[in-house]
Amino acid sequence: MKIFLRKNSALLITLLIILVFLIVSSRGMSTQDFYITVLRSLSAGSVVFLVAAGFSLIFGLLDVLNLAHGTLYMIGAYVGWTVFVRPDTFVDLLAPAFLLLSGLTLTGVLKRFTGKFTLSTTARRLISWGMIALGVALAALILSRYPIAMWDLENYTRGPVTFSFFADKEMRLPLEHLSFEKISPVLGILGLLLSSLIYASGIALLGRETRAVGKFNWRSIILFIVLLAAALLVIIFNTPLTEWLVKIDSTWLFLVAIIVAIAIGVGLGAGMETTLIRPLYNRPIYQLMLTLGLSAIGVEMVQAIWGRPGFIMPRPSIVKGSGEGCPATSLAGWLENKCATIQFFEGRIRVYDEIIIPVLGIIVLIAVWILLKRTRIGMIIRAGVQDRAMVEALGINVRRIFTLVFALGVGLATFGGILAAPSSGLNTGMGASLQTSALIALAIGGLTSYPGAALGSLLVGLVQQFIIKYGQIGIEIPFTDIIFKPSPPLVPASTVLLMVIVLLFLPGGIMGKKD
Amino acid sequence: MNKPRVSFFREYRTILIFFLVMLVLPFIIGLFEGSTPELVWNNQGTYSKFIQGLLIEIFILALFAMSYDLLFGITGLLSFGHAMFFASAAYATGMLLKFTSFPFWVVLVLIFVLSVAQALLFSLVLPRVKGITFALVTLGMASVFHIVVTSTDLSKYTGSDVGLQGYPVPAFFNASAEKLRFYLIALFILVVTYILYKSFVKSPTGRVCVAIRENEGRAMMLGFNTANFKILAMIISSFTAAVAGTLHALYQPAIIPSIADLGFTVTGLLIVLIGGVGTLSGAIIGAFVYKLLDFGLRRFIGEGASFFLGAVYVVFVLFIPYGIVGTWMVRRLGWNQACKQGWQRLLRVFKSPPKD
Repeated sequence: MKIFLRKNSALLITLLIILVFLIVSSRGMSTQDFYITVLRSLSAGSVVFLVAAGFSLIFGLLDVLNLAHGTLYMIGAYVGWTVFVRPDTFVDLLAPAFLLLSGLTLTGVLKRFTGKFTLSTTARRLISWGMIALGVALAALILSRYPIAMWDLENYTRGPVTFSFFADKEMRLPLEHLSFEKISPVLGILGLLLSSLIYASGIALLGRETRAVGKFNWRSIILFIVLLAAALLVIIFNTPLTEWLVKIDSTWLFLVAIIVAIAIGVGLGAGMETTLIRPLYNRPIYQLMLTLGLSAIGVEMVQAIWGRPGFIMPRPSIVKGSGEGCPATSLAGWLENKCATIQFFEGRIRVYDEIIIPVLGIIVLIAVWILLKRTRIGMIIRAGVQDRAMVEALGINVRRIFTLVFALGVGLATFGGILAAPSSGLNTGMGASLQTSALIALAIGGLTSYPGAALGSLLVGLVQQFIIKYGQIGIEIPFTDIIFKPSPPLVPASTVLLMVIVLLFLPGGIMGKKD
Repeated sequence: MNKPRVSFFREYRTILIFFLVMLVLPFIIGLFEGSTPELVWNNQGTYSKFIQGLLIEIFILALFAMSYDLLFGITGLLSFGHAMFFASAAYATGMLLKFTSFPFWVVLVLIFVLSVAQALLFSLVLPRVKGITFALVTLGMASVFHIVVTSTDLSKYTGSDVGLQGYPVPAFFNASAEKLRFYLIALFILVVTYILYKSFVKSPTGRVCVAIRENEGRAMMLGFNTANFKILAMIISSFTAAVAGTLHALYQPAIIPSIADLGFTVTGLLIVLIGGVGTLSGAIIGAFVYKLLDFGLRRFIGEGASFFLGAVYVVFVLFIPYGIVGTWMVRRLGWNQACKQGWQRLLRVFKSPPKD
């Protein structure tokens, strides 16, 4: 018992402080306000946690401070929005995406051939990066003529803002069914395939180990054929697929959006790690520059594709109802009438923002916790955070685990993005502000500690939401008649101050290891 | 410590050449647009004045980046709050000139005191936190400063989001009337700072700072009180950044709050990374590259400029691994040899023409 107390002293003190904080703040406001604010803090904390958890896993294992994490969170939100509001664009993009991916499955096979050339390092790097650039340029050229239904940034009536406005009102604007006009289908498909093969061989040439792979890998060939077949199927059944996606209930469409967002995140993460981050493990500070550059590129691309003004994302139908029986009086009533709000004391709480987001956040928290604590991969990750060289010495392929963790971390961030989008809307600054919150949460909780990330996110959420609430109702300062109303800039300032105070007393964060 | 005496001019050859080139550059550019040196001297010639303005901004950035390099590249302290040194000096200059009637040298003394005070404030946390945690704590402090500057409650003094405007600039430092003089002052300060920094790094004190970067435990074991050296580096760096901030306040018509946020610290970091960490001269070269890239891309591409800026960073990281100066130092030997061989091959072609 004594040992337990001493070991977890920092955690216990923090929990005590939270408890005192909650008790004190519950006296200043009505019970209903208090509970709603706590729920909101849980919601804000969950989103921060989803970004912070990936960030901390990546920093812990790879020692990479991924400053593009906030941008990836934003990309998750925008991709999810596209699937949810414009299923036709999504279906049109599916086939090119499959084609462009199919080449990548062959990198292992291509290595057998590229490994035979003996080139100097400089020539190898120049040729491989040249091939990657050539492949990307070819893909861009073909995609510009490929029939993809798009919103129109120039024309306001067909811009993203209008589309989400009408989708929110349950009225879809007519979707587009484009056919191959500017380019013949055969040329389009073969061109995309060729470009993917070109950059795949560039990536194959980039790899440091030049030895040919011993066994011919049939699995990758089969995967390649499956991807090709999927692309062809999607092209043939384009229209029925789109119509089906439009027809199904928007709750299911939202689930599809979540899955696509996570898949994009995992793909982007794996791609980033294998091509860009990997050459930089021995010069850590330049990773900052690289991720900053990638972040700038990401923000600019989002602005170019989806436009500068922010827009809303409609909520899925299960949390949208407002007709008879709403606001619901209980969870069962909500499920029956699909209400947007639930009656709660005298006020109402929004189901999506204040119940679904925290619940999903906690589910992810537990799932990743189980992954880390109960599986073999989780064991390797935890061991790698402790001592990377030792794990490598035991004959475990740490490189593959690196890619996996990076993909997992980015996937969590994009999941957070699509989850937050319906409640907070989409704008091009959402990534940067959330990344700051996540960094603060990590610094409070301990940079490489997974439970620390959860605790820090919770604290950041609590402080932010309570300061916002007090900004509305004001704090009575004891023994005086002054009512203090915190102004909006105090919201970020308060979390920053909390971070500085915590770091001064516990330099490693609450759950971090002590130096 | 018996090292061969190298004459001052030989030791600082490159920076002196840089000084001379920069000295005559406005006049040469003046010649290209058809205005005589005399006209340029009297602040005529639009194009020459425009280039002077661009170069003044580069010099200020270079000063700022060099101070960051002393802290991060030489002493090994990664701080994310460096913009605070710069911005607080800029704001202090503006506010002292606007709301008080102190003579200018008093303002300078007060700014010196302010910069030392800030360095000591940062040093308070030095013994407790290290590495990335130190970066985060300094980021926190600088963010508080940024929030104070932008808060609406103090807009009477700081101008909040709009920035501080309309402060009187002493006639001697008036950049709009006497641009060439300001240009020469900025250039002189930059060159002197560079020479002082170089000699600091070569002095025994500077060597200890480098030792702290390489292995703090070992430096401690040798009997150096590393905390004092870190505080010294912090004070020097803070003061240089403050000088840059003062120059910025004098040169620009208004002080906008964006110089106080994390983005500006990151600008300094990027300049140092582009030029080469721990090289000092890299900060100057990096500032040139950064500002010219930024300016050129914004001028010719417009809205999508930061896309290309980001792409340039990525390409830089992949192909110029240690920054411009750093990579040059690493590869110099190989290149020197290649150059020499190529030169000899060329000479041989001329010396003995192949016989038929």
